[in-house]
Amino acid sequence: MSLAIVVEQLLNALALAGLLFLVSAGLSLVFGILRVVNFAHGVFYMLGAYFGFSVVATTGWFWPSLLIVPPVVGLVGAMLEASTLRFIYRRPPIYQLLLTFGIALILEESVRVLYGPTAKGVDPPPLLQGAIEIAGTLYPRYRLFLVLLGLAVGATVWLLLTRTRTGLVIRAVAQNSEMADCLGADVARVRTLVFGAACALAGLGGVAAAPMTTAYLGMGISVIVDAFVVVVIGGLGSIPGSMAGSLIVGAAQTWGAFYLPETAMVIMYAVMGAILIFRPWGLFGEEE
Amino acid sequence: MKRRQFLAATVVGGAAAAMGGPVFLRRAYAQNPIKIGLPTVLSGGNAQYGIQAKRACELFAQDIKGKGILGRPVEFIYEDTGADPATAVRKAQKLVEKDGVKFLTGTVLSSEALAVSAKCPEWKVLLMSTINGAGALTAKSYNRYFFRINTSGPMGARAISLYLAESPMKRFFALGSDYAWGRDSVQSFSTQITAAKKEVVGKDYPPVGTKDFASYIGKIKQSKAEGCYLALPGQDATIFLKQAHQFGVTREVKPIMEIVELENMKAVGDAMEGTIGSSRYPFTVDTPKNKAFVQRFFEMHKVYPDMFDGETYEGLEWLAQVITKAGGDDVEKVIEAWEDSKYDGLEGEFFMRKCDHQAVQPGFAVQAVKDPKYPHLIPKILATYPGDKVTPKCRTEDFA
Repeated sequence: MSLAIVVEQLLNALALAGLLFLVSAGLSLVFGILRVVNFAHGVFYMLGAYFGFSVVATTGWFWPSLLIVPPVVGLVGAMLEASTLRFIYRRPPIYQLLLTFGIALILEESVRVLYGPTAKGVDPPPLLQGAIEIAGTLYPRYRLFLVLLGLAVGATVWLLLTRTRTGLVIRAVAQNSEMADCLGADVARVRTLVFGAACALAGLGGVAAAPMTTAYLGMGISVIVDAFVVVVIGGLGSIPGSMAGSLIVGAAQTWGAFYLPETAMVIMYAVMGAILIFRPWGLFGEEE
Repeated sequence: MKRRQFLAATVVGGAAAAMGGPVFLRRAYAQNPIKIGLPTVLSGGNAQYGIQAKRACELFAQDIKGKGILGRPVEFIYEDTGADPATAVRKAQKLVEKDGVKFLTGTVLSSEALAVSAKCPEWKVLLMSTINGAGALTAKSYNRYFFRINTSGPMGARAISLYLAESPMKRFFALGSDYAWGRDSVQSFSTQITAAKKEVVGKDYPPVGTKDFASYIGKIKQSKAEGCYLALPGQDATIFLKQAHQFGVTREVKPIMEIVELENMKAVGDAMEGTIGSSRYPFTVDTPKNKAFVQRFFEMHKVYPDMFDGETYEGLEWLAQVITKAGGDDVEKVIEAWEDSKYDGLEGEFFMRKCDHQAVQPGFAVQAVKDPKYPHLIPKILATYPGDKVTPKCRTEDFA
C-alpha cells in the first residue's frame, strides 16, 4: 500500500465529508431548533445546484454564485416556513413529515419542468480546474477546495452559535422555546430565520457540489439519506456532531468502496445501527 | 351586451367547443381506440428515459394522425413508476385492469421490466421493451408475452468488444451499476474480451445513484488499465465522466461506454470528447428513413433524438405494422404475427426471432466527437456490425 493511495483516499473522504457537512449541518439545526425532520432539506441542496448553474451559465461567475445563490435559496426556504410549517408546529410530527415531503416533491418537479430532465454541468472556475500533485499522485484542485469550504463553514456556524448574541437566542429557543418566549425572544422569527439559514447552507452545498456531480434531478433525495445518517451518528442539533458524522460517513463510503466494495453501503448503516443501540442520542447529542 | 351575458355566452361557447371536438373526432375514426400503456419513469433521476419514450409516442401520434392503426385511433396512457419495480407492477396492473390496455411499453429499468414481464402471461397482455437492456429478459426470464425491440446489454457489449478486439488496447477495467443491467453487461463484456485474448484487470459494481466515484477512480488508476468499460445509467455515467476528467484519468484510461447517450454528451460537455462505446441507436445513422425521422423529430421537440427516442419510435411503428398484419388488437394473434416478421427500421433491417423475441438488428461502435453543425457532441459511427454478429444465441447471453 503506497503513501500516494493512502493520501488520496484520505482526501477523498475529506472532500465528501465537506459536502455532506454543508447539507447535514442545516438538517441538524432545523431539527434542534424547530423539532422538525425536514424531508425537503435535500431539495434545497438541489435548488442551490440548479441556481448556481443558472448564474454560471448566464454570467460566467462562479465565485459570486457562491455568495448570491445561498441567500436566494434561504429566502425560498424562509418563505415556505412562514407560509406553511409555522401553522403546524403544534400538530403531531407526522404532519410536518408529510408537509415537508410534499414540498420536496413539488419543488423537485418544478425544477424538472423549469430546467428539463437533462443534467446540467457546471465547470469549476479556472483557478480550481485540473489537478495538482500531492504525495506523488494527481489530485483535483476542486476537491481540495471542498475540504476547505466545509471546514470554513463549520467554524463560522459554530462561532456564530456559541459566541454571538443571536447564537445565544437560537440556543435558548432550542433548549426550551416556551421559556425563551417568556423571556422576550421572538420565537416565530427565530424559527423562520433558522429554517432560512439552514436552507441557505444546503444551497451553498448545492452550488459547491455542482462542479463535482453536475446538477441533476434526484440529487436531493440521494444526499438527504446520507445526511440523515450523518445527523443520527453525530447527534441531532449539534454542529460538532454533524462534523464528526460527516467525517465518519465520508470515510465509510469512500474507504468502503475502495477496500470492501461489496459491503460499502452496509458499513455506513452498521455504524449508524451501532450508534442507535449504544448511544441513541448520537456522538455529540445530549441525552434527553 | 351586459357583462353577465357575455360571460355566460363565453362559458356555453367554451363548453360546446370542448365537448364538440372529441365527438367529431370519434366519428371520424372507427369506434374504440387501440390503447398503449406506458408504466414509465416520469419523475426523479431517471425521468429523462420516460420523457424520451413519451417524445417518441408524441411524434408517432402525429405521424399517424387521421389514419390510426386499421382506421382505429391510438391512445397513449402514461403512468409514473418512480423507477421502482413494485410500483411499476402496480401501475401496469392499473393500466391493464382499469384502462383496458393490451400493449405495454416504456418500462425504464430492467428490474422494472423483469417484474412487469413476469405478470404479462397472467394478464394476457404484451410488453414491448424499447429501453431495457438486461440479457435475462429474452433468456432466463423469457416468456411469450415479452418482445424486445431494442439492442440488449449483451448485444451492446458484443458490438464494442468486436471493435476493441481490433484495437491495440489490451488491459481493461469494468465498472457496472449494481443492478441487473450493469452486472449483466460487465459479465458479457468480460467473457467476450477474454475470448479476444485481452485482459480484464479489475471489476467493480458501484450502487445506482453513486455521487462520488473517487474511490473507483483510484482503483482504475491503480490497475494500469488502458480502457475502462462502463455500464452506468445516464446520470451515474455523467457524474463518473465528469469526475474522472477532473482526476485526469481519462487521458491515460479511455472510457468505453456500454451506451453512449446524447444526455451524457450534453451534461458532460467537451470533457467527454473521444469517449467510445456502443450505441443502440445513434441519430447520425445515414439512411434516408432515419434522416427524415431526425428532421421530423427535431421539428416537433427542438432537440435531436437520443437512443430511446429512436428505439421507442421503431417499436411503435413495428407494433402498428404487426397489429395491421394480425387484423386487430387480439394479443395472441399479434404475437403470432410478430414472430419471425421483418421491419424496415431507422438504422436498417430488423427481424423478430420467434425463439426468444429478441429483435435482430445492426450493432454500432461510436465515438463522441465535436461537430460545428450541432450544439453538443454527437456520436460518430466507427463501425457497424450486422445483426447476426451481435445477437446472442437463442435464449442465452452467449455468442457463437
